[in-house]
Amino acid sequence: MGAGLIEYSPENLVPFGPVHPSLKEPEYFRLVLEGEKIVEVHPRIGYVHRGIERAAQDRTWVKNIYLFERICGICSFAHSLAYTEGTESLTEFQIPARARYLRLIIAELERIHSHLLWLGLVGYWTGFDTLFMWIWKDREHILDLLEGITGNRVHKSFSTLGGVRRDLTPGLISTLQEETKFVTKRAKYYEELVHSEETLISRTRGVGKLTKEIAEKLCPVGPLLRCSGIERDVRKEDPYAAYDAIPPEVKTSKAGDVESLLSIRLEEVIDSCRMVSEALQHLPEGPVRIPFPRIIPRGDAFFHVEAPRGELFYFIRSNGSAKPERVKIRTPTLANLLTAAELLKGRVLADVPVVLTGIDPCFGCMDRITIVNVDKSKKWSVSGEELRVYGIEYYKRKAGKN
Amino acid sequence: MTLKEWARKRSIWVFDVNAASCNGCDIEILDAFTPRYDVERLGIVLVPSPRHADVLLVTGTVNAMMKDRLKTIYEQMSEPKYVVAVGACALGGGVYKGCYNVGHGVDKVIPVDLYIPGCPPRPEAIIYGIMKLVNGEPPDPKEEE
Amino acid sequence: MIEEELSSIASGLSAKISKAKKSYILEVSPDKVKDACEKVSQLNGYYHLSTITGTDTGESISVMYHFWRGKVFITVKTDVPKSRPHIPTISSVLPSSLLYEAEVKDLLGVTFDGNPLMGTRLLLPDIYPEDAPPPLTKEADPEKIRKMMELE
Repeated sequence: MGAGLIEYSPENLVPFGPVHPSLKEPEYFRLVLEGEKIVEVHPRIGYVHRGIERAAQDRTWVKNIYLFERICGICSFAHSLAYTEGTESLTEFQIPARARYLRLIIAELERIHSHLLWLGLVGYWTGFDTLFMWIWKDREHILDLLEGITGNRVHKSFSTLGGVRRDLTPGLISTLQEETKFVTKRAKYYEELVHSEETLISRTRGVGKLTKEIAEKLCPVGPLLRCSGIERDVRKEDPYAAYDAIPPEVKTSKAGDVESLLSIRLEEVIDSCRMVSEALQHLPEGPVRIPFPRIIPRGDAFFHVEAPRGELFYFIRSNGSAKPERVKIRTPTLANLLTAAELLKGRVLADVPVVLTGIDPCFGCMDRITIVNVDKSKKWSVSGEELRVYGIEYYKRKAGKN
Repeated sequence: MTLKEWARKRSIWVFDVNAASCNGCDIEILDAFTPRYDVERLGIVLVPSPRHADVLLVTGTVNAMMKDRLKTIYEQMSEPKYVVAVGACALGGGVYKGCYNVGHGVDKVIPVDLYIPGCPPRPEAIIYGIMKLVNGEPPDPKEEE
Repeated sequence: MIEEELSSIASGLSAKISKAKKSYILEVSPDKVKDACEKVSQLNGYYHLSTITGTDTGESISVMYHFWRGKVFITVKTDVPKSRPHIPTISSVLPSSLLYEAEVKDLLGVTFDGNPLMGTRLLLPDIYPEDAPPPLTKEADPEKIRKMMELE
């Protein structure tokens, strides 16, 4: 992960070589430089395009749960939750209260695991490997919990049409309470750490500053939107699952840079622990699942959830048969892509890994970046890994000069 | 020279390629390098370039954009080289079988030496698989502690 | 409140209003889409364009612009005939629609006149055959497309 591709061709004997006119392979991000600054950014996604929306039309309603949760390995429960709740909204069935609380618990546990994963990667990209190792070790506690409750660490298949597949045992409930206290303590420690560590501060303070004006124009979602000061969270404004009973505290910041993103995500981890513990205290009794028909009535459903990265949107159309007619999915990373491109403009190459990680991308990594230098008429490709090393060296030199 | 003998002279360096996967297998591979599983104590290192790698870990269904790139990466590796297909998608397309943009397995594009099933396979399974490739038979369970 | 605001927008553009569960739907003709989206985005001072969906309904392609507002969605809907799938772009007034329009163009073949990304591919692989129908249309057959791209 993060390890990319270095293209060595006869003309490019040193990494920053001359123009390679036959470089016609598709690039992932094309950066145009003038001098040291980036002036244009052109994204080209399609590396992870699998044709899932078309495949969904050939599978039954229940089989699609297993297809959609494998769109992304990090926020897989958010996808299955959006799909199941969206499909259930086409019918008149009431989902049992206990199932809705359990969905909230797993969704928040997934948010914790995703934010901790991201924070570890920030440490990795900025050269702070210790942070990466420590956080991923703490993250294992959450993965153990998820495995104990749902049976799998990554693709949980927990939510199904009509409720959830498994129930919590009393032993698991007490383990959950203990582990959320542990994670809260660790998150508070990391919050102090990231604001006092020089390497991180120099790479993240003032970097990638998102203003309210740009955010209103380009419509990003998730923590990236909230770091510009706009308070918008699907769980609060348009509650689903059990969020009407246990609303989140929406965290915003006025600073807009990557450092504020560190704070926001860590505070969200602490808030998620609070929500899990409240949900456990007020867990209603009853069944976790109701029988659901094989045929879904005709209609259009519009549904969105707050995935760890932002608003995840589903449009589901049923024509009254056993298979959906059309499912449209808009992942949060696509919504943030334009904002990422805008934030990169005017920055130096060394900031690219940090700004791109700041939006918390969920595609198969920034594994190939092509750079076009207009002044020197040069064009070359770098991998994410090369940029990571370049960024660390650049800031080390800058610190040495001061 | 078998991989085991050759590995005794230097440790195994692996390079991870994400060929259109959901990232689940990649996260579990990266997890193997973190303190709980700590595959680095066995001498296995993640390298940034295929030219330095001995073993290529491929995850994901190999979609139309990644097909040629995967072949290029395979050709950039120097002998002896081994390919490990990680996850159900790399084995035979996984849950995406029949989609218009995906291939049905890594072995349709490059030769594969070892398959690790799972969706995603646990980090322990990945370590077990790589050690099986190196040693040729199941290692003693006590050795893995 | 929101019903009155939408009614006034709709009457100005000779559009039809309906409600489906969670969304108000404003049906307009393709040439009025830009005006409709601009007016909807100016309701109450802020807007959030969630995405743009395209669906093949047999004879035409239905394009929907989803705006999120509080507890509901406002969807601007239009139909373009397959014989001439062109809609004016809204990216000059709402820049966040740039990539969503490019996605609909890749997957369904609708051209958004004026969008700078119309000549490039966003999602589809470079080897996607030029003469194959766009993948989400009813004429597209996944098996045939796989054979054309030589995917085993």
